[in-house]
Amino acid sequence: MFSPTTANPMNTHLICGGLTFEGVPVEMREKVAFRDSQLPDALSEMKKFLGLREAVLVSTCNRVEYFGETTQPEHAAAAWPEFLRQFHSVPEDFAPLSFQLRGAPCVEHLFSVASGLKSMVVGETEILGQLKDAYEIALNQGQTGKWLNRLFQSSFAAAKSVRSRTGITRGSVSVGSVSVELAEKIFGDLHHCRIMVIGAGETSERTARSLLSHGVKSIVVANRTYDRAASLAAELGGQAVRWEEWEDHALEIDIMISSTSAPHYVLTQEKLQALLKRRDRKSLFLIDLAVPRDFEPSINLLDNVFLYDIDDLQSIAHSHLRERQTEIVRSMEILKPHVDRYIAWAERQTGTPATNGLRPGWAPA
Amino acid sequence: MHDRLWLFLATLGYLASAGWGLYALGSQRPVGNRWTFLLILFGFACHTLFLQQRGAVIKHCPITNLFETLAFFSWSLVLTYLVVGPTYRMSILGAFTAPIVFLINFVALAAASQIDLPGSLPNRGWQLELHATLALLGLGVLGVAALTGLVYLIQERQLKRRALSSWFYALPNVGRLEVVQQQVLVWGFVIFSAGAALGFFIPHQTNEDWVKIVWSAVVWSLYAALVVVLALGRLSHKKTALLSVAGYVFILLTFWGINSLSEAHVFPHDG
Repeated sequence: MFSPTTANPMNTHLICGGLTFEGVPVEMREKVAFRDSQLPDALSEMKKFLGLREAVLVSTCNRVEYFGETTQPEHAAAAWPEFLRQFHSVPEDFAPLSFQLRGAPCVEHLFSVASGLKSMVVGETEILGQLKDAYEIALNQGQTGKWLNRLFQSSFAAAKSVRSRTGITRGSVSVGSVSVELAEKIFGDLHHCRIMVIGAGETSERTARSLLSHGVKSIVVANRTYDRAASLAAELGGQAVRWEEWEDHALEIDIMISSTSAPHYVLTQEKLQALLKRRDRKSLFLIDLAVPRDFEPSINLLDNVFLYDIDDLQSIAHSHLRERQTEIVRSMEILKPHVDRYIAWAERQTGTPATNGLRPGWAPA
Repeated sequence: MHDRLWLFLATLGYLASAGWGLYALGSQRPVGNRWTFLLILFGFACHTLFLQQRGAVIKHCPITNLFETLAFFSWSLVLTYLVVGPTYRMSILGAFTAPIVFLINFVALAAASQIDLPGSLPNRGWQLELHATLALLGLGVLGVAALTGLVYLIQERQLKRRALSSWFYALPNVGRLEVVQQQVLVWGFVIFSAGAALGFFIPHQTNEDWVKIVWSAVVWSLYAALVVVLALGRLSHKKTALLSVAGYVFILLTFWGINSLSEAHVFPHDG
């Protein structure tokens, strides 16, 4: 095992490195991902192995990365692939797949990651929570010090600033989350909403699960094969109804998701008009995921009814993703003063200019 | 002249609020409504000072001529917004209230150039002042109901057309708008009805003012019909919103003309 040499503040190097989805396929990433329960032990072992004086280990499905402060960045870069190999008992050589950044680029990297700019789905916010968890583990273990404490806390503040001042997190980017977003814009709080799933397809199941995760009140499943409806209803914690009865149950429903394989419309404008007369004036959100479509398109002309088919939802998801990507440049501009502030602080700590390239710790690796 | 300065400042505040509110709605960034609200609050403070100073000078509720009536009318709109916005967490309504209030105040200030301070005014009893105050307050509340209806129509249209602009994210959900619009509409109708009913208890010294009475009856009947069909659940949310907006457009378009034609609704000046 490597033992760090005596600390010399003038040789401080802030470093980060690891593997990300950008350069490493999932078949490799899954071999070196750390389970939550492994993280505390892995962190202390990694810190010794890489010769770090401060360390944070981040492991998500898209990245396995370390952040640290050391006097020997070259040693850390060389030791990282070996650490992965030994810890996970795998034969692969991860050296060509790993990266390392030092100094200012490392700061920029963490701030960008925390803001969701380097995520597979740009702008996703889960990464911020994962970074906070990783930092908290390190903090509780006493593995961080002034460099990483300030770095991570600054990154959280920077991410918050980007999220509140840009549209980087705006708009959902999957059919399920777009459906949830639309439902929330129609009903507000979903806790009082009831869903009906017509046709127990995989897409409708995923969409129903998205809505369920946002707290909808109840779910009813109708399918031509009752057993399939019963099975899906049991999985989703809902109620199965026979195909012939779905229209009666629709009277109480707020959101209807359909994905049958019927060659004709399951719900026509005429049929829905009759149904609406029996309901009160509450809004009805229809999600048609079937091809060919289950709901007659002219239904959307009826008051209090909002109809979206699979193309509508996908088109919204794609446009959100495009919008998020256009926000990256603006987000980087917002991050810049945060990065500069950290670097200025680092310069004060060491008494050396951080960006003049004299100290390799602050120059790109 | 001094009191008009306060109204001028208030109008500037509303203009700034309207500009900022519309910019925030149109921009791609999630700008909060805090500035819109604070600017309206500033405008309201100046507006209130104007009415207070004006009232102190004329020793009446300042609704004795078209200038004052318009200023009081717009003040009641802002007052309603300041109650409804925070209560229902609908501060976004400020972006829609501010432009309307600015326009009414602008017209009021333009009218003011032809209207001097009235001389001494006869005391026509508390019933008259309460009648006029409640009627104008009711119209203010109905105005906010109409603005909420307008926001509902915008949001509903975006959802129907699947055109999700930056407004889509800034505006509240349609379910919330439905509830707020209907509740404010009913409150506006109740207050306006109370104001109109008090008119029957005012001792009249001149002939009945049939122009204003017929106009008030038309407005009241329109809103009464709307509230009744709403209570019966016979009208879709969209049609409710449309009728509420149409009703208020009618009020705005006819208010000036009716008040100009009206005789008994103008205080006779002794001075």
